[in-house]
Amino acid sequence: MLSRIADSLFWLARYMERAEGLLRVTATHYLLSLDKDVNGALTWQSVLETFTSATPAEIEATKNQTAEALKLLLTSNSNSNSLKVIISKARENARGIQDYITKEVWEEVNSFYHLINQPSLDKRLSSYEAADILDMFTRHSVLYTGITDITMARGTGWGFMNLGKYIERCFETIVLTNKHYQMNHYKIHENKDIMQWRQLLMSLSGYELHLKTYRSSADDHDVLDQVLFNEDFPHSVVYSLGRIDRHLQDVTKRIVSEENAALMRCFGRLYSKVKHTDLDTLNNQTLHPYLEDLRGEVLQFTKLLSQQFFSYA
Amino acid sequence: MGFLDQYDLAPNIWDEMYDHHQIRDHYQKVFHSLEQFDVSALQQKDRLAGELFMNQGITFTVYSDDAGIERIFPFDIIPRIITGKEWDHIEMGIRQRLKALNLFLKDIYNEQQILKDKVVPAALIASCPHYTREVFGIKVPHDIYVHISGIDLIRGEDGQFYVLEDNLRTPSGVSYMLENREVTKRIFPELLAASHVRRVSNYPLMLHEILLQMAPAQISNPSVVLLTPGIYNSAYYEHAFLARMMGITLVEGRDLVVDNHKVYMKTTEGLEQVHVIYRRIDDEYLDPLGFKPDSALGVPGLMNAYRVGNVAIVNAIGNGVADDKAVYAYVPQMIRYYLNEEPILPNVPTYELNDPEQRKHVFDNIEKMVIKRTNQSGGYGMVMGNKVTPEEWVKAKAAIEADPRSFIAQPIIKLSTVPCFIDGTFQARHVDLRPYALCGPQGVQIVPGGLTRVALRKDSLIVNSSQGGGSKDTWVID
Repeated sequence: MLSRIADSLFWLARYMERAEGLLRVTATHYLLSLDKDVNGALTWQSVLETFTSATPAEIEATKNQTAEALKLLLTSNSNSNSLKVIISKARENARGIQDYITKEVWEEVNSFYHLINQPSLDKRLSSYEAADILDMFTRHSVLYTGITDITMARGTGWGFMNLGKYIERCFETIVLTNKHYQMNHYKIHENKDIMQWRQLLMSLSGYELHLKTYRSSADDHDVLDQVLFNEDFPHSVVYSLGRIDRHLQDVTKRIVSEENAALMRCFGRLYSKVKHTDLDTLNNQTLHPYLEDLRGEVLQFTKLLSQQFFSYA
Repeated sequence: MGFLDQYDLAPNIWDEMYDHHQIRDHYQKVFHSLEQFDVSALQQKDRLAGELFMNQGITFTVYSDDAGIERIFPFDIIPRIITGKEWDHIEMGIRQRLKALNLFLKDIYNEQQILKDKVVPAALIASCPHYTREVFGIKVPHDIYVHISGIDLIRGEDGQFYVLEDNLRTPSGVSYMLENREVTKRIFPELLAASHVRRVSNYPLMLHEILLQMAPAQISNPSVVLLTPGIYNSAYYEHAFLARMMGITLVEGRDLVVDNHKVYMKTTEGLEQVHVIYRRIDDEYLDPLGFKPDSALGVPGLMNAYRVGNVAIVNAIGNGVADDKAVYAYVPQMIRYYLNEEPILPNVPTYELNDPEQRKHVFDNIEKMVIKRTNQSGGYGMVMGNKVTPEEWVKAKAAIEADPRSFIAQPIIKLSTVPCFIDGTFQARHVDLRPYALCGPQGVQIVPGGLTRVALRKDSLIVNSSQGGGSKDTWVID
């Protein structure tokens, strides 16, 4: 397959995964922000810090204004990570590979793009319709995943799409987890206050699983167990890495070369770092550097991957 | 609804539906079906068609401020109908014309007999900017130069079809022919089924077959690509569409590399050889080493690979010499010279402006003339003699006198009209017809139909999409 197409498939999938993550976090936060009594006033600060390119001053000005925060996250042109910008980038990538992706996938990405560019959107976001709009976008994002799964051919291209998707998901989980523990000063052995963790778990679609799996426990560290090490949780770091492992085999198996071997070794180091870590070794001193290390290694792996497969220009 | 009440016909113009007394036979069925709908139902269909084009991304981008606005190419929902008999005549005419044009291109890049016999003046060819010395003497597979053509036809006041121009380089619009039919299937399913319209949908398969046959003979499973300038090209949708319908790879210049006179594409598993390139890039951008040195769209070294026959390029390089608007005037002579036949489809009378006598005649009768640049398409650089203001004419005249070889003149022909659904009423608008013909080793094949372009502005004769034109589905019915 053409390197340029592989590159675009990778980024199409990454941007679409990023859009879905952004939507889940925003929708969760929006609904929780309506319950003012949980933790006092819930502000948009942490979400804006994680997901936008806004300056501290802008965040300070926006954090208590739900409608403004939604605009910044979803429809803004100035925020280089808004939903609108992400979807535009996804579409640009899809456009360049229109002959490779199926007509169905292209049409879904294209209609998503036209939806987010509707001029009336800003007004509706500041009204009671905000939740509906978030739902509609989330549904489109899920629809994209389904259409891709049903219509795209398996093989090398599918491998690159999934690498993009799970690398993005892996990053997202690491970054969100880090942010939440940072707000808690990395105290992981406190008595569990599920309300506090609800936001993280719902943003990763893991709240129900948590209630079912960790029912008897009353310790904060089981949240960490779920998001990092739970093999059954599709947003956990170990699950994403498992998928990456599989799709890395797909794209490398036909060529035996030293570069491919180096790439596999780099990934192996990263994967075992998650697979073979005991939850007990993580405490309020070690957690922060551990998450930072993980992030750095995923980054390093991604860099190698794109050098190996996507260099064409 | 009262269809004919608002249908306003100009005198001395051939209307394809109404002959000034009654509805023509082949329009009867469609006409009576359309009468059953009320305005809001038709408007609903119009909207639906617009949405279908939008969601499929069949759009072009208009750049204003810094935000690009996406627009669809206007589509008129009422089909344009041609009878099977008329079509068979058109088909024969185009087949004859292409046969002659292919022989002309072979001749002009090899022996040049037609120049030696003084049928076409050598000075005309020597002064043609698209005559490409770089390809002189190159042997092309099966002696085919024009694999894909979009010959523009118009219908005059007498109801006769004329050839307006030959597009032999990289004609576009075939995806609209195919998509227009798909949209019609959604908006008028019963009408389409009841009318027994000849099928157009196999065009991509016919094209693919021809591309495969162009590969060097010893290759059993040739690799065929479509070379596009990229997503910013206004016809990019069509490039992607055709690549998908044929199942070939869509590549940009940066995906290709030439090594040892062979063309390769850069893949995730190393280099892979390419045997046939269906290019949608103009000649002068194909190879920065051979032509424009600053072209970033092309592939350095491509010309050498072409010259030694390691790669086939479709259409051939250098075809511009045959669709130059001044050379166009000689196509009837070519048909007589190479085929010993009389032309089936006549040319529009054409005046060469570097001949002082013809120039004087044109200047004296300018209100009846249209002046065109010989190497321009898209309706650019045209002077309509009946619309031009005195100041514009002084300027245009100076430009023509400075470089008369670059201009030709033709009498203004009132294109035929067909009904269009505009602002909730039926109105007559001028149209042309571009059938798409394919040349392969087995001969010329033409899908029955083609693209009808329509000038949506009232009384306008300019159908180009860049100048307020739209399109229609075109039905050939028996």
